[in-house]
Amino acid sequence: MNRYAMVIDLQKCTSCGACAIACKTENNTPNRSKGQTFNWADYIHEAKGRFPNMEFRTIPVLCNHCSDAPCVEVCPVTPKAMFKTKDGITMHNDERCIGCRRCQRACPYSAQDVDKDKAAYSVISFNDASSEPHGFYRDTKELIKGCTASGKEIAKKAGSLPPDHNRYSHQDYESVRRKGIVEKCIFCEHRVKKGDQPYCVASCPAKARVFGDVNDKKSDVSRLIKKYRPLSLKNNKGAFLKDQEKGTRPHVYYVRSFKARPSKA
Amino acid sequence: MKIKRRDFLKASVAAGAAVAANGPTLNAFAMGQKGGAIGETAGDWKPSSCQGCTTWCPVEIFVQNGRAVKVRGNQYSKQNDGFVCSKGHISLQQLYDPDRVKVPMKRTNLKKGRGIDPKFVPISWDEALNTIADRMMELRKTGDPEKFLLMRGRYTYMRDTLYSALPKVFGSPNSISHSSICAEADKFGSYFTEGLWDYRDYDLSHSKYVVLWGMDPISSNRMIPASIKRFGDVLDNATVVAVDPRLSTAAAKAHEWLPVLPGTDGALASAIAHVILKEGLWHKEFVGDFKDGKNRFRTGKTVAASTFAEKETNGVVAWWNIELKNKTPGWAAKITGVPSKKITAVARGLGKAAPHAIVWLGPGAAMHVRGGYTAMAIHALNGLLGSIDNKGGVMPSAKVPVKKIPKYSKYQDELAKKHSKKQKIDQRGYLTFPALKKGKSGGGVVTNNVAQAILDKDPNEIKVAIGYMNNFVFSSTGTGRWEKALEKIPFFAHLTTNASEMTQYADIVLPCAITKYEKLGFLKTKANGYATCTLVQPVVKPLWDVKMDETEIPWLLAEKLKERGFSNLYDYYKNEFKDPETGKKPANGREFTEYSLKIMTAPLWDGKKDVGGDTIKGWEEFKKRGMWNSSHYKYKKRWGGKFGKDSVDKKTGKTKTKGTKTHKFEFYSETLKEALGKHAKKHKTTVNGVLKACNYTARDERAFVPHYEPPYRRGSKKRYPFVFIDYKSKLSREGRSQNTPWFQEFKHVDPGDQGWQDLLKINPKDAKRLKIKDGDTVKVTSTVASIVVTAKLWEGIRPGTVSKAYGQGHWAYGRVAAENYDAAVPRGGNNNTIMPADYERLSGSTARNGGFTGVRIQKV
Repeated sequence: MNRYAMVIDLQKCTSCGACAIACKTENNTPNRSKGQTFNWADYIHEAKGRFPNMEFRTIPVLCNHCSDAPCVEVCPVTPKAMFKTKDGITMHNDERCIGCRRCQRACPYSAQDVDKDKAAYSVISFNDASSEPHGFYRDTKELIKGCTASGKEIAKKAGSLPPDHNRYSHQDYESVRRKGIVEKCIFCEHRVKKGDQPYCVASCPAKARVFGDVNDKKSDVSRLIKKYRPLSLKNNKGAFLKDQEKGTRPHVYYVRSFKARPSKA
Repeated sequence: MKIKRRDFLKASVAAGAAVAANGPTLNAFAMGQKGGAIGETAGDWKPSSCQGCTTWCPVEIFVQNGRAVKVRGNQYSKQNDGFVCSKGHISLQQLYDPDRVKVPMKRTNLKKGRGIDPKFVPISWDEALNTIADRMMELRKTGDPEKFLLMRGRYTYMRDTLYSALPKVFGSPNSISHSSICAEADKFGSYFTEGLWDYRDYDLSHSKYVVLWGMDPISSNRMIPASIKRFGDVLDNATVVAVDPRLSTAAAKAHEWLPVLPGTDGALASAIAHVILKEGLWHKEFVGDFKDGKNRFRTGKTVAASTFAEKETNGVVAWWNIELKNKTPGWAAKITGVPSKKITAVARGLGKAAPHAIVWLGPGAAMHVRGGYTAMAIHALNGLLGSIDNKGGVMPSAKVPVKKIPKYSKYQDELAKKHSKKQKIDQRGYLTFPALKKGKSGGGVVTNNVAQAILDKDPNEIKVAIGYMNNFVFSSTGTGRWEKALEKIPFFAHLTTNASEMTQYADIVLPCAITKYEKLGFLKTKANGYATCTLVQPVVKPLWDVKMDETEIPWLLAEKLKERGFSNLYDYYKNEFKDPETGKKPANGREFTEYSLKIMTAPLWDGKKDVGGDTIKGWEEFKKRGMWNSSHYKYKKRWGGKFGKDSVDKKTGKTKTKGTKTHKFEFYSETLKEALGKHAKKHKTTVNGVLKACNYTARDERAFVPHYEPPYRRGSKKRYPFVFIDYKSKLSREGRSQNTPWFQEFKHVDPGDQGWQDLLKINPKDAKRLKIKDGDTVKVTSTVASIVVTAKLWEGIRPGTVSKAYGQGHWAYGRVAAENYDAAVPRGGNNNTIMPADYERLSGSTARNGGFTGVRIQKV
């Protein structure tokens, strides 16, 4: 049986931003609004020390696809809208979701409102029930009347909303989620099932992200986990789980250090 | 509690609305359960090129049903290996930007100025082009076509049909490029040492020691995905040192961060050179050695040139005697703020790693008032290390054997011939603007001085101007001068994608195709030892009535000029740009575009000559692949006295040199000596007189060697106690991506920055003294202007200096870029507003680094 996981090599990561933006192009996530980021992939940054001995690092973040996923635990519908696939992916079924947002409250990596909670990111975002998603491409305002376009006009002309809508199909989720339900990273299962890598992995110019089956001892993820001391996040504030601390048994692992080890010179 | 969706919907007021989603894609019920169909809707990956930065990546764009939806690197590319950086992805939101200009526009409010609504109204292409042609013809009628100005911005190599041919055939010398607003001083460093007026390629994969100097290759500069791909391994295989006044991402990841005091980089370079020579660490195979093998480089001691036998270099002893002999790490530590131990360690590390060592010169160290010699001093270290053209070192690009546009001289009439030779509007070649591109007085452009020249009507008045894909009123320092200058020009036409700041001054606006998605053209680029020719191709049909700026629009304009009795440009385009395969003459702008592209790139695909690199069988295959990779650059190609080459000019009989005068890598630059001498002679002064006029302190022999110049500062330390540092964002597509929500959202990938913000980084010590807290609104004032931004307390910046990324501060462009487009309220503040217009005059570069702008910070 597969157990999918991701390893992120922080030494290779240059915090270039490609993965998070590529994810938005793949999964057509809306722009941030009303305390919801809709960034299935995002970053947290840490700075410590004083000039000139300052240390800074970036940690790319996404859904940890936990084995003890609280978001699944609390999902009240039957069958559950948030559930674990047999491959270990924390999957979301749009059709069954009732938008109660219990998952968002239960997930240690999510915030109900990133602004109010001053949270750096949230794994789960909620599509407001009162307005349709992608408001940016529904706006009818023209800055220069008759001369420049509007969001709505662009979407109409392009024949899709959003205009760069990357269409795909999956039995559980839509390529654009409707209002009134939650959404999150699903490890691009629509790609994985076809033998492709999740798009953040496929798009990483540093090859810092590695995706695979941890049950397969020969896989790249298993090899990296064995080679380096992997760490996993405890929450969305950048804290890592300590040795022996299981947390929600997250399956995104971080290896090596963003900053190079001390100089050989 | 267990709930079923059906029950929930019944009870929910929101249920009705959930069904009523607009458009075909959002109806959850229609698209809901698909009985197992999984995967991406069919589409094609189509090749083109990204122009978000100057890496110019070969890319592919995923097109579904005529829409561009995703971006990746070209799978054939040896330059980016099939990957793009964040900028590549962001461009989708430029293509589908709601604020794109979709039709030609005409100004109806004659009053021009910042914040004054031009009251644009839509017009036809015909009316727009007729208006421009009428205004141009007036200049021909009055016999002063030099009053026509063409300003270039972001270009492809299709540029020459517009940029070169149009003004010259019309009769104006005034084709002005944007080049010197960002990096010409950088090229000055390599030209007057190794004869290369270009950016270098860096062999990161094989290097043992890498000094990133005034740049961050994983964030900006010219080989971004290539650097990102290798950086993690470089940290294992080499020692990486970042020299930068602020903590860049490269500095955060590097083994060592040297936060040099802004503008003092030359002192650091001289001290490193001092240690390398004193400790005998130079690469003997390249530089040579003392004849008896005994090192005579001792601090404070002059060395007799006769005791040293040089190999590939010229003047190492002269450099030591004139500049280096007293430039100890102790001396430099006091000037640079970098401890002497660290300076020595870097010098030794480089020496040990030589020749597999890289000193990567970036604009941060070069683009300042006295940055020309700094650029030479830094780049010259590569000479000492023998890393020039070497494995794991520094090299020029391999050749891209493309052709130039056909000659247009026979289409120039008497008026055009005479007037196109007049002094260019940027005052290049004036005493204070040597602009010594490739050693020629006035050889390079002084872009940013055009604003002043227009205001001063010197050398002449400008009556009709066209700008394309440029935004000088935003992208050039001293923006206030550009605002005034643009108010003065009687007629200005802007070719653009968005109603940018510059567009606000336009009389006619022509909507342009977006490069990467809608244009046809080609680019030359390089990385990892490979040169690349990559096509820009229209991968989607434009949504609006836009045209290609460099080829289609000039064709249409040529037709209009012909209708008015001036057919020379049209005749040139029509007769000289025949399809190289069929011989057919172009019938319209689109054919003209394709034929010119075919003419120029033919050697890569016509199979007539083996040009090395990828074999491409024909035009169709070239379009399908989208690119050509060269063979790998040959290491040590110019060793053996090939850094310069002489040839005899057939007309004059005089010997001309391409590259360095001595044909060697010059530590004592005979090439610069000749260039400065000629410029001095032209102005009946001495080299010292030139240096004085250009704000340099060096006199006599120091003028010909790489050396330290104390930083030049605008604003007294008393009134403007802070030094301002401008840097490049990872997400900034040359100032054009700020209207995309993705730029704003992920701005925090730049260290110390936050999404949707424009943050001035200030050291907490300074902030405490000024009672400034994180998130406070602050006013930043220089000698020329003020901006209001948000303060960020940040340990990644030295006390006494403040930094902010370039890019924000748009007061036009669009709804996202500007805080309020209608009211011309900027989001944040433009760095170029507070940085005064000043120059590295020897190269003509705009000063924007080296901490030349003194500022004061006040809490608002």
